Amino acid sequence: MSVNERAQAIEADVSTAWGRSRLGAFLSQPVSWVFIIVGGIIGFLSLYPTFFLFYGSLTDAPLGVPGQFTIQNYVRAYTDPEAYPLLLNSFIFGFGASGLSIVFALTLAWITIRTNAPYRRLFELTAIVPNILPPILVSISWVMLLNPSNGLINAGLVQLLGIEKGPFNIYSIAGLIFVEGLILTPLAFLIIAAAMKSMDPSLEESAKTLGSNEFGIMRRITFPLIRPAILAAATLNFVRAVESFDTPAIIALPARIEVFTTKIWREALGSFPTNHNLAAAYGVGILGIALVFVYLYRRFTSQVESFSTVTGKGFRPHQIDLGPWRYAASGIALLLLMMLVALPILVLILVAILPYYHVPTWQTWQNLTLDNFRYVWVTPRVHKAFMNSLFLALVGATACMLLASLASYITVRTKIAGRGIIEGLVFIPWAFPGTAMALGLLWAYVDFPIPVYATIWIILIAYVTRFLPYGLRAVTSTIIQVHKELEEASIVCGAGFLATFRRVMIPMMRPGVMAGWIILVTIFMREFSATLFLYSPGAEPLGPLLYFLYLDGMRGRVAAIGLVISVISIILIAIAQRYSRWDTK
Amino acid sequence: MKFKNGFYVGLTMFTLLVTTPALAQDVKMLEAAKKEGKAVVYGSLESDSANSIFNEFKKKTGVTVEYWRASATKVMDRALSEYRAGRPLFDIILTNDNPMQIMLKEGIFAKYESPSAKEFPQNAIDPNLGPRYRNVVIGVVYNKSAIKEADAPKSLQDLVNPKYRGKLVMPDPTQHTTTTQWVASLEKLMGKEKAEKYIRDLAAMKPVLVESLLPAAERVVTGETPIAITYVKYAYIYGKKGAPLDYVRLGKFMGDGHYLTLSNKAPHPNAGKAVIDYFLGPESMKMMAQLGEFVNRKGVYPPLADADKIEFVEMYDLGSKGFAEKKKEYQKIFLR
Repeated sequence: MSVNERAQAIEADVSTAWGRSRLGAFLSQPVSWVFIIVGGIIGFLSLYPTFFLFYGSLTDAPLGVPGQFTIQNYVRAYTDPEAYPLLLNSFIFGFGASGLSIVFALTLAWITIRTNAPYRRLFELTAIVPNILPPILVSISWVMLLNPSNGLINAGLVQLLGIEKGPFNIYSIAGLIFVEGLILTPLAFLIIAAAMKSMDPSLEESAKTLGSNEFGIMRRITFPLIRPAILAAATLNFVRAVESFDTPAIIALPARIEVFTTKIWREALGSFPTNHNLAAAYGVGILGIALVFVYLYRRFTSQVESFSTVTGKGFRPHQIDLGPWRYAASGIALLLLMMLVALPILVLILVAILPYYHVPTWQTWQNLTLDNFRYVWVTPRVHKAFMNSLFLALVGATACMLLASLASYITVRTKIAGRGIIEGLVFIPWAFPGTAMALGLLWAYVDFPIPVYATIWIILIAYVTRFLPYGLRAVTSTIIQVHKELEEASIVCGAGFLATFRRVMIPMMRPGVMAGWIILVTIFMREFSATLFLYSPGAEPLGPLLYFLYLDGMRGRVAAIGLVISVISIILIAIAQRYSRWDTK
Repeated sequence: MKFKNGFYVGLTMFTLLVTTPALAQDVKMLEAAKKEGKAVVYGSLESDSANSIFNEFKKKTGVTVEYWRASATKVMDRALSEYRAGRPLFDIILTNDNPMQIMLKEGIFAKYESPSAKEFPQNAIDPNLGPRYRNVVIGVVYNKSAIKEADAPKSLQDLVNPKYRGKLVMPDPTQHTTTTQWVASLEKLMGKEKAEKYIRDLAAMKPVLVESLLPAAERVVTGETPIAITYVKYAYIYGKKGAPLDYVRLGKFMGDGHYLTLSNKAPHPNAGKAVIDYFLGPESMKMMAQLGEFVNRKGVYPPLADADKIEFVEMYDLGSKGFAEKKKEYQKIFLR
């Protein structure tokens, strides 16, 4: 029997195990046990709080109060003719923002990973910074820059060009898409950049040998090969935009543009008292949309082999020499990073050093204050929150990525029946609007037999539950690129599943794992919607602290803490990126 | 002289007789509170105000107060969920009238008559919830750099003058619950017919609609929109930082009341009672007023010009059905 035949036989054993009548045969495979354990954990994490939301959507009383079975919540949510034009607005917003984020991310990733553009490493590091900032702060920053009355850019252009009125109006559908697109870009960048780092350049080199120019290679070889990553990022960002409320609240509301989440807020989450049952019924609808996108994604990437570019042969992704064009490439990256990072951060610095925010005048410079940074420096409550969040970010992201790697391996690499369900399960808690899911988590764990409620562990459980899809997407888009021959070789050489996973798969998936880890660390450092209902009042993490300060109108303190979080996160990202490079091996 | 001395001794004895049990009770309660070690408060009072009071309380008693701050709706959501599940972690709820009434109906509160309550006017004491310790007052705030005092509106009626078109910001009454309540309660100031017309005129001004009262005030602070319907206290809070803000002296101002009440399943009942006593006491009420709050303790005012002339009118309690109906009604008026 040849090596290939042996490998195929072993794989056939694994893939058909589930279908065999003898349970023993299935259970004799270590991968089956991994499937059972990982599926069990994900199933529990996902379905337990979701059950409460589904139950809530089918009853007429708040949770904990006996109620009657009803479908009235669904009737009310989906028979209102007003809902559908708003859904269309949400789709336009979602496609626009997600599409824009992909264009920005793809451009940045290609310049920073594949070319010899100057300062590309610095660009790569800073591209992730916006993910650290709470989205609401980014939206507010852009309002301060581009509002038609006294936005800094508009005011500057009026002075500079002597025109009567600033040319930009943030309060428009274009403004809404632009800001949300910028907010979503870092996530897309991380996923696409990870896939680019895992590419074998031999195909590109062959094309070059056959006479194709760099643009042709990029269009015909590079982008088609990273299609799974592009689709993964687009799927995540589309759903994230459709369910987002922060940016529409800041920009769409004054512009009188209504989207679906505005309606959910008005009628359910923001109603008084909160109509949890109706909110859950709306949440189920968004879940349906998310699952359609997951299905489409799986269909588009079902021919896994065609994306495999990481093979058993040694490789090192080469850099494309852009010649004199490399400066232009740096210029484009710089322009994008100005919009993504520099301008919002500049506004945050301004907010942090002004006693109250206003358009700066000459007098302003005499009133600058470091009080907000002093507050961060001297307040024990802030220090404690930093420590809590660092713990949650590091442990939470690591646990999440471990689970995501195993889940990704099972869904992409095995043929176990029901593996697709795992992917669906992962997406369920994420597709619900944040506030609705937070209530589901509260209901689920407040009376949990193991007393985890109001401890730090419950927050970790909530983070893994809600944000596993980010980890899963990041790893899956890289694992798809790893050719099976590597693990087959490992199995043939006698290594078991765990040894193969640890010694072959994990190193191969490293760019994706690290990308996912970075995404999660930056989110966990400032997450608040799931945290708010679950943490113990004496042990607040940074997210709720930022939320309180924001609620109390302490924008200066929020900006100062946001800037410090950014610095800490950049250090963590720099360390993580060092370990995600192939060339550091 | 003898009579006079006898009178003073008698008075002292009487005073001691009357106050000693209370003092003894206070001391006993404080000892028990110290043994409990901490009190947990869920509330929607601004963190700075709450923490400055709770830190002072800790200095005096050694009892820590753990404060969980969220919006009024979230406070109610968490408190009711914990209570229904039989795991209430809180001793005190501190938030505004509407959610307090709902939680009262759910039966989560204990009746505690704090000795500090007697310094509040009778009409500011709810028989079940205790004293309404502060009022959150809604009015019209404007940016003095953008609008000269002479050109500023002088009344609510002035806001619908076409010269202020495009210059007014307010929270969206179809989304923001307190604003729904404020618009619906205008009839308390104007009468039903006038109020209905006024609401339509106000909507016809196409005010900039924002999420809540704070973003409305912030737009005035930054000068993006010069006039806002928002909390009057922001004129003081931002004014203290140097922002050129003032408020329109409307005479009668509408707003909402805030309460703090003990849970009937408080894990630290004595610490909870001690917190309530201190919170309603003169020291903490003065501290809160200094931070710009309109407290109800007799004779205590925030350092805002003419604060003592403000006549407070409590807004309607609409109830959940009333809120839904009004939001629907205002959607037709404000969004079309």
